[in-house]
Order: sequence, then structure tokens, then C-alpha cells
Amino acid sequence: MADYKNMIGELAGKCLKQGADEAEIYLQTERRMSIDIRNGDIETVEEAASSGLGIRVFVKKRMGFASSNDLGPAALDKAVSKAVSFARIMTEDPSNMLPARAGQTSVGRLYDPELAGVPLDRKIELAKAVEKLAMKDPRITKSDGARYSQAEGEVYIANSNGLLSSYKSSFCSLGVSVLAEKGEQRSSGGNSCSRRFFAELDTPEKIAEKAARKAWQMLDPRRVKTQKAPVIFDRDVSPSLIEGIISALNGESVLQGTSFLAGKIGRRIAVGPFTLTDDGTVPGGPASAPFDDEGVPISRHVFVDGGVLKGFMYNTAAALRAGTKSTGNASRSGYASLPGIGIHNFHMAAGEMKLDDIIAGTARGILVKELTGYGINPVNGNFSGGVSGFWIENGRLVHPVMGLTVAGSADEILNGMDAIADDPDTSRALAAPSLRIRELQIGGE
Amino acid sequence: MSVKKLLSGEDLTRRRFLELGLKSGVVMAAAPSLMGNILDGRGTWSGYKPQTVDPAMLSRVIVKALASGGDFADVYVEDRISRSILMEENKFKSGVFGISKGAGVRVLSGDKTGYAYTEEITEDSMLRAAETASAIARGGKPMGPVGVLRREIRPSYITVDIPLEEAADEKRLEIVRRAHDAALAYDPRIRMASVSYYDEVRGRTIATSEGTLLSDELPLIFFIVQALGVGPNGSHMGRERLSRHSGLEIFDEVRPEDVARACARESVAMLEAREAPAGKMDIVMQNGWGGVLVHEAVGHPLEADNISRKTGAFYGRQGRKVASDVFTMVDSGAIPNARGTTNFDDEGTAMKNNVLIKDGVLQRYLTDVLSARQIGADRTGNGRRESFRCIPIPRMTNTFIDRGKDDPADILASTKSGIYIQSLSGGSVDPTSGIFNFTCREAYLIENGRKTAPVKGATLIGNCLDIIMNVDAVGSDLDFGPGICGKGGQSAEVTAGQPTLRLRGMTVGGSKAR
Repeated sequence: MADYKNMIGELAGKCLKQGADEAEIYLQTERRMSIDIRNGDIETVEEAASSGLGIRVFVKKRMGFASSNDLGPAALDKAVSKAVSFARIMTEDPSNMLPARAGQTSVGRLYDPELAGVPLDRKIELAKAVEKLAMKDPRITKSDGARYSQAEGEVYIANSNGLLSSYKSSFCSLGVSVLAEKGEQRSSGGNSCSRRFFAELDTPEKIAEKAARKAWQMLDPRRVKTQKAPVIFDRDVSPSLIEGIISALNGESVLQGTSFLAGKIGRRIAVGPFTLTDDGTVPGGPASAPFDDEGVPISRHVFVDGGVLKGFMYNTAAALRAGTKSTGNASRSGYASLPGIGIHNFHMAAGEMKLDDIIAGTARGILVKELTGYGINPVNGNFSGGVSGFWIENGRLVHPVMGLTVAGSADEILNGMDAIADDPDTSRALAAPSLRIRELQIGGE
Repeated sequence: MSVKKLLSGEDLTRRRFLELGLKSGVVMAAAPSLMGNILDGRGTWSGYKPQTVDPAMLSRVIVKALASGGDFADVYVEDRISRSILMEENKFKSGVFGISKGAGVRVLSGDKTGYAYTEEITEDSMLRAAETASAIARGGKPMGPVGVLRREIRPSYITVDIPLEEAADEKRLEIVRRAHDAALAYDPRIRMASVSYYDEVRGRTIATSEGTLLSDELPLIFFIVQALGVGPNGSHMGRERLSRHSGLEIFDEVRPEDVARACARESVAMLEAREAPAGKMDIVMQNGWGGVLVHEAVGHPLEADNISRKTGAFYGRQGRKVASDVFTMVDSGAIPNARGTTNFDDEGTAMKNNVLIKDGVLQRYLTDVLSARQIGADRTGNGRRESFRCIPIPRMTNTFIDRGKDDPADILASTKSGIYIQSLSGGSVDPTSGIFNFTCREAYLIENGRKTAPVKGATLIGNCLDIIMNVDAVGSDLDFGPGICGKGGQSAEVTAGQPTLRLRGMTVGGSKAR
């Protein structure tokens, strides 16, 4: 294994020699493997190792960036000189700063040392098993494939302020997708489980059961009329509602005037129990890390507390511009990207009710099991989506419904939330409980 | 893909447009014609020389890949140089340069695929990848003699006047600045403009066990203008995009200011948007990027991987009437310089003009090497991949509803009430059930055959099998728009196109009862 720490430290130094005032190197290595199974047999096996780095430089507070997955000297020389020459022709911006050298948060259980050692055959058997189990139900007619995948990798960051950090992480996932058919009807259902540790994957039985249920339960849907009614979002779809709120909490969007939450700090934006927390320090959390994507140590932040907006998410540059400190939310989509702003383990707090009781307490409305579309628009708070799920009459699920729409606004959703369940799936990076909105417009017949 | 991205969980069934798209305003030839220009060999990009690949070495890699069995193998070598520039809030915020290269080796053995890639384009690394990929065929019979690699030169559908690798970065900055300033100057209600410029040159070498050996270089430009409009009743972010496989001459034909003004016009127009109605109604869709609706609703379910697995909504319907008589749909990877065009697909198959549905009757599916073999169909030139990191899968290229006979103005005038959709954002489809959804970007009420008040972005939903039966008027004004299509974790450059058309009885997800 190459000595990446040494290499990126030297590369940052080379940037300074070429004329950069500040330099940062972000290097990522990864090994990944996946197995696809269809109808009891292997369909595809993919395997690869890769590495690449991103170079961010400031010349007189002007920013340039270059990336390369060719770590040879010729390519890196080219990358450094392009980053510096791009920086020279950009606009000066006083918020172009790199974070100071800092420690890192101690976060346990990000890397499973056993993962790579688990025999390939065992992983193949797991994927075969989850497919077979999902096909067990007589209503399931076809497999759309099962998949096992894993990845492990390391992130290294060095900057000219003397910051030099790294961490290892791992991930594995098992999932299956099946079809239920009845006459001309076709309905698909899929489910997967992702974990950092191999031993913590859900059992194939549990994964398969849910995939099969999602497929057959939507058979024989009926139509409903266009109307206003209460809408319950199941915990599988409520996180999609939160996504639009997250975009509106992005500190850079707020500065640019593209967030409907701008100017509302300290104000009530939602019902009392509504609380949003981002915590990248949870041991073994799917999006936990000791530092963010520019090396700032990660901590826990409450952005909405008891319905009151407490603050926005920042990386170093956006924080400087807003006159505050980074919240450790710098985020890159990979080594080839500039750091933007993103979440770690972002959870909406659980309520105290049982989903069954919320359904039982709903005279007429819809339980949404699937939500499509763009969710809440972060610029203006408009909301519209396609939904399928179950129609509720007198507190009972009476039949599946498909091809409906629901629409409203962020305000109607945040302030119309009148029941919150105790069930968020906190094994996911973005989690929210099942919740009911008092009334939304439903589009149907 | 990073570990972190994988952590977000993989969506097993949905196909989705990764980003919103808009009609480009670029009129392209509908009938693909062959351009005479020949592109071959590999130039130098920005002084950074990609490694040239020795055909004899590629042969050795293919032989190794098939050493333990299998019936097809290919090697895909890629070299990509990219540049992007972002200007927003009156500042050139960042200039980004990228170098990416690698090689993938694939082995097919019956229905099975083995795949491995390396980022080092050396014989040792590629032989190791070949060995890894070959494990899938273990226990099979070693294949007979492998086809001798013969370099082919094919006509190119992509012409370049001002090569990207020769243009100074300052020239790119000037294009960005012109668009940025034009968006702000359009109207005082435009408070912020964001202009993102991207270009790349992708060099490909493809060698297969059938003896094919091809190389080319594909230039690509992707230009996006966004503008924030702010009015007393709210805000709206408009967006306009322009993309082609082309050199910088594209900006002589479509001026950056024109792209910016089209974007700013939308931002301002939508400031007065009122709540959209909910329920079933008639839809008139303006020509251009609206074709993304059939890209999702019909195109994805026609990709042959769904068909060979017998899971697609159109499985078993070839030769059958699936759409109304006025509906003809085409996928053509050979439209000169279009964003979805390449000279040959990523498996080396020549691009074709594929008529998918003709006068309502289903003609063919879109195939790659594997699915063509599985369903016993021809290769259609749709085997595409995002990069050397991915296996090829059947993908659309430039997909459009072909022009019809109706006058676009008559289509609107003869629609008593409903929604006029000027542009869509994007959407997704479940190719199994055929249920799709879309979000309107710019839409208006139709009252007594006239376009009236703008309405807020509503979702449209429906089932692909129903929707194309309900197209009852198709205009003569075919146009296209650029987009990014996501499938199986891979993104692909596509265009979607259509003439102005009418759909009867579509479900609209507005927030207001009618």
C-alpha cells in the first residue's frame, strides 16, 4: 500500500511552490465487489480497486480545483498546474479559506476488519437465499434479481495549515427485488439492508419478506376521487419529505436567497414535537465519520428544536460568509468534486404513537407507502408528489390505491403534522418516523 | 462511486432523471444524416498525452479473459479530460479540471457477466482484470480462436470546428460571463444568476473477441443557466440547458445570452404562478424537452434487459398495438452532434435510427450485446456505459416522438380546458408496473382553447400503457432538449424530443380542488 499520507503532504507543498497561497489534497481509495443473482444463478460479478485525488488551491483568495485518478507524476504535475492556473482567473472571495488544523472526533465501528475475509461463497449463498425466500410466496411470480455488494475504503485529507487526517470505512448491502403478477397486472417490490459490519446485516428472511410484501400488497388497486383528506406518510417515505427541508437548511442556499427558511432563525416553523438532528458521531452510523470532507471534526447539531429553527448547515466557506462557524457539514460526492454542504446521520425525532393507532384514529384518508417526484421545493416550499399506498376508511386499511397525487406546501406539512409515530429506522442515514398530515389535496379520478 | 454514495442505499427498481432538464431551444435535424467527417486516431489533450493502446496487447488481454471459458469478451479503454466553471452571485467561484482514465474487461458466459476494471492502463493490470473477470466462466470450455483485431474506421456523426482542447480557458469564462450578465439584465426581479459550464473530451478504445477494434474521441459541452426570480408572492428558480457533442462553435449558433434570457423569462413568468388544480384533465405539451415523458414512460420499459428478464411492462407486446395511431417513437444515436449521439456505442455497435413504435404498433426493443443475444434480436447500438467503471447496459440515446400532421396552434385552440405544459423538470418510472411521474417546471391553465394563468410545479402521473393510447394530436414542430438519464447507478447523456402534442385524461397533482 502506497504511503498516501506522505504523498498528499508533499503534493500540497508542491502546490505552494507553484504559486498557491493555500492548498488541500483529498484522496480516496476504494475496493468494491458486487454479485447479482437471478433465478438461482449468478448473473454478474464485478470487482475493482480504485483511487483518486482532488486538489483545491487558493491564489489570492481565488479558487481552483483539479482531480486525477492517475496518481503518476506526469498527471499530478498537470493537475497541480491546472488547479493553480484556474485559480488565477477566478474571482477573489474572502470566504475562500481552508479549515485550521484540528483534531478529529473519535467515532467507533466504521470499519469491519472481517468483511474482506468472509468467503465469497458465503456472500453468493446469502444473495441466492434472499432471492429464494422472496420467491416463496405464491403471489410472487418472478425475480427481478438479488444483489450483494460491499465496499471498503480510506479517505485522506491534507492541507497547508498542517491538517493531515485519515479514516477507514466499510459497507455491505444485501437486497432483492421481485414481481407479483395477476392477470395483466404487474407489481414490483424491492428491499435492501445496508450495514458497516457484515455480521449486522438483517437476515435474508427479513429482507425477503418485506420485498415480497411490497410487491403483492399493491395488487388489485382501486381508484379514489380527487379530494382533500388526511395523509399518513409511512416511515419508508417520510424521509423523502425531509429532503426538501434539508436542502432549505443548506447555509449556502440561505445566503443565496434560494431557501424558503432564510431569515427564520429563532422562529417557529413547525409543530411542537418537530425536531431535526444531524449526528455524524454515532458509532457505526451509516454516515458517521471522524471529520467532514474538508477535515473539520464532526459533532452533533440540532437544526430544528421543538418546532423552532435553530440554525443552518455550513462548510468552512459558507460559515465564514455567514459570520459563523462550520457545522462540520462539508460534503463531497467523491474525490473529483468540490466540497459542498451535506448531511451525516440526519434524523427527525420519534413521537410516541404507534402507526397502527394513527391509522385507527383516521376516519378517512391515505397511508402512503411510496412517494415519487421531487418532494418539497427548497426555494419556495411547494410540494407535489405521486403516491401509492392504502386507502383508509373508519380507521382501517380497506384497499390499495395507485396513481394518485398529493400536494400542498411546506407550511401545510410542517404545521399540519398532527400525529408522529415511534418508528424511525435509525439504521439509515436519513430517517424519519411515520407521520400524519391533517389535510392535503389528493388528485385522483 | 464513493463508499459514502453507496451507503445511501441502492434503488433497485427506479429509473430516474438525475437532474432537471429543459428544452434547449436548439433545432436539430430530425432525420439523421451521415456527416462526412472522419475521426480517428487520438490527439493530445491540453498537453497531457493519453497512453496509446497497443492492439497486440489488447488481443492478449482478450485471450486471457476467455482462458477459462466464456463466449464473448471485450476491453474498453477510456481517457477523459474535463473542465467546469461556475459563476454565480457575480463571481467566478471555481474552475475545475479533471483527469480520469481506466480500462474495463468483461467476459460473457451464457447469461453470466464477469467484470473488472483497472485505473492503470498497463498490460499487467489489464491481464489481472481479465483474470478476475474470467472467474465467472470457470469450469466452462475454453473458447476457440479469438477474432483477429482489425482496426475499423467509421463515419462520424460528430463534427468539430473549434476543438475544446485548443480553446483557452479565458474563452470559456467569457461565454459564462455573457450568460450571467444577460440573465441579470433581463428583469430587475432576477436577483441571482448561476451559470455552470462543463466540457469534456472522452477518448475510447473498444476491442472485442469478435475482432472489432475501434477508437474515437467525443467532445461534449453542457451549459446550464439558472436564475432566481423574486416577486411579492414568492420565488422561482428558472433553468435552461444547452448541450451537444461539439466544439465551442455551438455558442456562435446559440448565443449564451439567448440561453440566459430563456431561463430568466421562465423565472419571471412563474412568479405569478397560482395553485395548480388536482385531478384528471387534458394536457397539451409544448415541443422539445417534454419528450422526456415518453423517455421515462415508454423508453425505459422498452430497454431489452427488462424484456429478456420478462419483467418489463412491454414484455410480449412486440408487433402489437400499444399506442394510438398518431404515435410514432424513435431512438436514434446518429443525429449529428446531438447530446445522445456517439459514433458507435460503448460495445462498438454502429448507431442506428431505431423506430420503436410505428403508428401505434410496437416494432422493437433497445438492445446491447447481451440482451440482443438473449431475446434473439439485432444489436441496436444502445449498449452504453457511464465510464470504464461500469458494465454496458441497454440505454436510450436521442429519443423522440416523431412529427405528426397537426398544427400546434390548432392543438391548443381545440382543447377546451386543461393544463399547457411548456416544460417539465424530470421524473421517474417503475419499468415493471409502468407507473411514472413527472414534475412540471413551467405550466399554464388552458381555458377555452387559450393559455392563461401560470400554475405552480405539479406532479403528473400515469401508467405507460395507458398514456400512449391517449395521445390524440401530434404536431409538426419536433424539437429536442438535453438531459441526464440515470439507470442502475449509471448516468448517460441523452436528448428527449417531441412535437407539440395532446394527452387526454392525465392525473395532475395540484394543490387546489377544481
